[in-house]
Order: sequence, then structure tokens, then C-alpha cells
Amino acid sequence: MTAMAEVTERKAQKNRKRRAAASTAPPSTSPPATGPPERLPYLLDLYPVESSTQTRLTPFFEALQRGRFTTTRCRKDGKLLWPPRVVCPICHTAELEWVDLPSTGRIYAFSAILAGAPVGQEGDLPRVVGLVEMDGSPLRLFGRLLGIDWRECRIGLPVRVEPITLPDGRTFYAFRVIR
Amino acid sequence: MSENRQVAVVGGGLTKFGVRAATWAELAQEAGEALFRSVPALEASAVDSLFVGAAEPERFAFQSHVAPLVAEQMGLAPHRIVQRNELACASGQSAIRSAYAAIRAGLSDVAVAVGVEKMNIPSLAEANSAMACVLDRPWDAAHGLTAPPFFAMVAQRHMLEHGTTEEQLAAVSEKNHRFANANPVAQFYEKKFDREKLLRLPLIAPPLRLGDCSSMTDGAGAVLLVTQDRVRDYTDTPAWIRGSGQYADFHNLANMESLTDWTGLTRASREAFRSAGIGPKDLDFAELHDCFTISELIEYEAIGFCAKGEGGKYAADGRTDIGGEIVVNPRGGLLGCGHPLGATGIAQAVEVSQQFAHQVEASRQVPDPEWAMVHNLSGSANVHSVMIYQRGG
Ligand SMILES: [Zn+2]
Repeated sequence: MTAMAEVTERKAQKNRKRRAAASTAPPSTSPPATGPPERLPYLLDLYPVESSTQTRLTPFFEALQRGRFTTTRCRKDGKLLWPPRVVCPICHTAELEWVDLPSTGRIYAFSAILAGAPVGQEGDLPRVVGLVEMDGSPLRLFGRLLGIDWRECRIGLPVRVEPITLPDGRTFYAFRVIR
Repeated sequence: MSENRQVAVVGGGLTKFGVRAATWAELAQEAGEALFRSVPALEASAVDSLFVGAAEPERFAFQSHVAPLVAEQMGLAPHRIVQRNELACASGQSAIRSAYAAIRAGLSDVAVAVGVEKMNIPSLAEANSAMACVLDRPWDAAHGLTAPPFFAMVAQRHMLEHGTTEEQLAAVSEKNHRFANANPVAQFYEKKFDREKLLRLPLIAPPLRLGDCSSMTDGAGAVLLVTQDRVRDYTDTPAWIRGSGQYADFHNLANMESLTDWTGLTRASREAFRSAGIGPKDLDFAELHDCFTISELIEYEAIGFCAKGEGGKYAADGRTDIGGEIVVNPRGGLLGCGHPLGATGIAQAVEVSQQFAHQVEASRQVPDPEWAMVHNLSGSANVHSVMIYQRGG
């Protein structure tokens, strides 16, 4: 198990406990007096849907919880597809397979959001973001860059994929600068 | 079939752009006032089709099905085609393109293309959410992607690859704000920005400062497009549509080949030039999509006004100013006029019409213009829309 996988396994255990607790708790009649809501209204929530009742890409998030960063690849033409999909845009087959992506890369370009954040991110500025060239892969992925001040950030710095837990227990990912 | 019918913009009008104490529907009414004032011969009953450019009324005004709403607000009763056009920042041009296509195909003779956007709402964060979902919402915007950090990364790479400087970016902003200072409908009418002041404005998404970014703007406008047989009913100085091109090639940023080489714009403008039978050197002015200063520089390069990597120098040397090789954004651009998404493309077409008729303020009048280009990008520069106009008369 990689270091990344260990961290995420701990987080996943915590989430499972948290969700179990939530499912047995008495129904709440009013929102908590302080703190952000666990989940924004559905149509203000920027993050991907993960539930298998709403998407066919649930395996991506399940793998992420286990510390594996994956995407889909076409079984016919071998094309690596990002974001994960259900039909290949080259040959239009639905015969795709899940494959591991590299979990490290280097910063190709970056900036920081100092103002103008959407709902749910207003209290979380500045937010450093960038495009990351994944090691040994043609993919250049956009994501949040953790563990660095924007004034110290540089093109070429190495980063690692880090699963993150959203307030409602869903799993997403960011990139953490490797020191 | 009348497949060779020529189509012209024969007039149009705009509301005041800015932070407006007016609702979406009220802006649509103002667009009607502006249209009928600017084309006195127009009777509502003559309008057979209506195309409404509106990027996000669902988000900014909680209203869908806006084409019939606009018809009601403007007092129109279209009986051939009525539809809304959504292409984010290019929604206004999309409405014009659809009107053009309909008239050219013989399905319409007299069409109105409208653009309306209300962006300044009491909840700034909700407005920012609206802008975020223009991008790949779950896979890019969820990380924090909106337009400013995207174009900031474009600027960073252009600076690294070609030596472009903050001063060169400021030269674009200074030029466009100066034109806007003379344009009464502009959001930044009479608001002066010299290069030193621009370079002191706060950073929004480094290296981009406030003066490098277009604004959240409320505004609307409408243009009248007619078939060749009806042109003389409305104007002596038609703006003939001679060419068009459009290209879309990715959505998620992972599938963008290059941040700094906008091949989609090269393709779209080549197609437009080919259909018009002219080249970049034949243009007298261009209304380019300067949502950010860096955008305008890369557009010079992609369209072919200057060589790859030389956009910054081209702007700083004044080659796109009045008296230069090609005037870019004499209206004041998105930087100076503001960027009410759906209304921007309409405002650019109104500018072409008024430049051809010599109806703009003297300090921003292009000398005797015959050929003009209008360009919009949308989203993360993943779609480019281009039209070429020729003055008639
Ligand atoms: Zn395939």
C-alpha cells in the first residue's frame, strides 16, 4: 500500500463511521446554528455526483477512497480518456476499462484565486490552482494545489494526488506539493 | 431555393451597460426601445423571426424559456422562427449567426437578434457559481476553476514562452479603456486608466490584475438583419455579412492541446476569410473578444495580424490603435464596455453598423472602414466564433 493509499484508507474508515453515525442519529429538525451546511443545494454543488443512482462513474470514487487514482481507457483503440467516460469519443464503443493513473506529476501552469469565489468556496481563499503534467502520461490535469503559498509556487514543482473528503462524506481529489 | 441570398445588419441599439438597477426583463424592454429608436422605419409586424442570445438567465434571473419572454417585452410576434441561443460568452453572436443562416436559407426575411444578460445580483457568490458552471463543472470548476485563473495560466505560459510582459498587457487595457471613455453606453465611460494606474490595481488571479479582467455587467441590445431585397427599407449603409467560421474542439482542460496557441481561432478565422474572399490585411478594424488582456494578444497571433509570440509587442507598439495597421476594439472592448455575456456579441455588431455609418464619436471612429471582423470566444477559449462584415452603400 502506498503512502497515499494509507492516508486515504484512514480517511475512508473515518467516513464510514461518520456515515454510520449519521444514519442512526434522530432526524434533525433545524440546521446547526453555526458552520457551513454539509451539502449545498443540489444545483449549487460544483462537485461530481458519486452515487450509483445518478452516475455510471461511481467506480472512480470508490477507487479514490481506496487510494487509487483511475480513469477509463478504450478497450478497442487503447485511448486514455479524461475525465472518465462511458463511451469512447474516438470509436464510440462502450467497451471501456478502468485503469490506474500516475499519482504524481509536475506543475505546468498555476494561478491563485484571490477574489471571486463561487458558493461554498468564499471562505477558502486564496486558493492555489494549476495544471499538472502527470508523470509518464500524456495527461495534463487541472486541480487545486495544496501545501503551498501562491507566492512561493513555481512551474515544475512535483505534486502528488491526494484524495480529499467533502463535508458530506463524498471523496474528491487535489494535488499536494511534495516537499 | 434562394441559397445565394445576401444578408445584412441594417441597424441596432444598446442599453446602457454597467451595474444597472433593472431586472432581466426590464433590460429586454430597453433593448426594444433602443432597436426601434435606432431603426425608425422598423414596424414590429415586419419582424418574422426572433433569436435571443442569453447565456444564463436560469442562474442570474431564475428564468427559462426566455425567447417568448423577450417577444413580449419587446412587443414582437414572430411567426416563422423564435428561439433562444446559448453559447456562454458568445451567445449574442450565436443569435446573429442563426438569424443569418435563417435568412440566407430563405426561412426568414426580417429577423431580430437580441442579447440580454443580468449579472449583478445581490449574491456575488451565486454569480460566481454561474460563471464557474460555464466550464467543465464537476471535473474542473469543482477544483476552483473560473475564468480568471484559467486566463491567468494562459498569461503565465505566454510570458514564459514568449517573454510577454505585464506592461504589454496593460497597453491593451489602456487602449480599450481609452476608447470606452468616449463610448456613452460603456460601463467604464469617462473612467480613466493610464498604464501606471492599471499596474497598481489589485491582483485578481496572478499575474492578472483587476484591469486585465472584463467585468460582471448588466446590459442588452438588439440588431435587425434582413434579406438583400429589404435592405433599402431600413438603411443606406448596410453591414453585409460576407463570411463566418466557428470551431469547437474541447471542454475539459485536459483536452486542450495548448494554452497559448489557439488553433480553433485560426481555423474559424480562416474559414471566415475564405468565405469572404479576403485576408487579415484587408480588415480595417476588428471587434475581438478581450475578456482578458491576454486574450486579445493571442487573438492577434491566431488570426494572423502578427507572428506567433509577438502579440504583446504588437499591442505595445500601437499597431492596433487608431493610426495603426488594424484598429482593434474601437468600441472599448469587453474590458472597457463590460461583458454582459449574451449582449456582448450584439454590441459588437452594433459597433460595426455604426462605424460603417460614421455614427460613432470622432475619437474612436476608424477612418473610412470597409471590412470588419467580429470575434467571440466562449468558455475556456474552447469555442471560437468569427464573422466578417463589408460596408455597403
Ligand atoms: Zn475507442
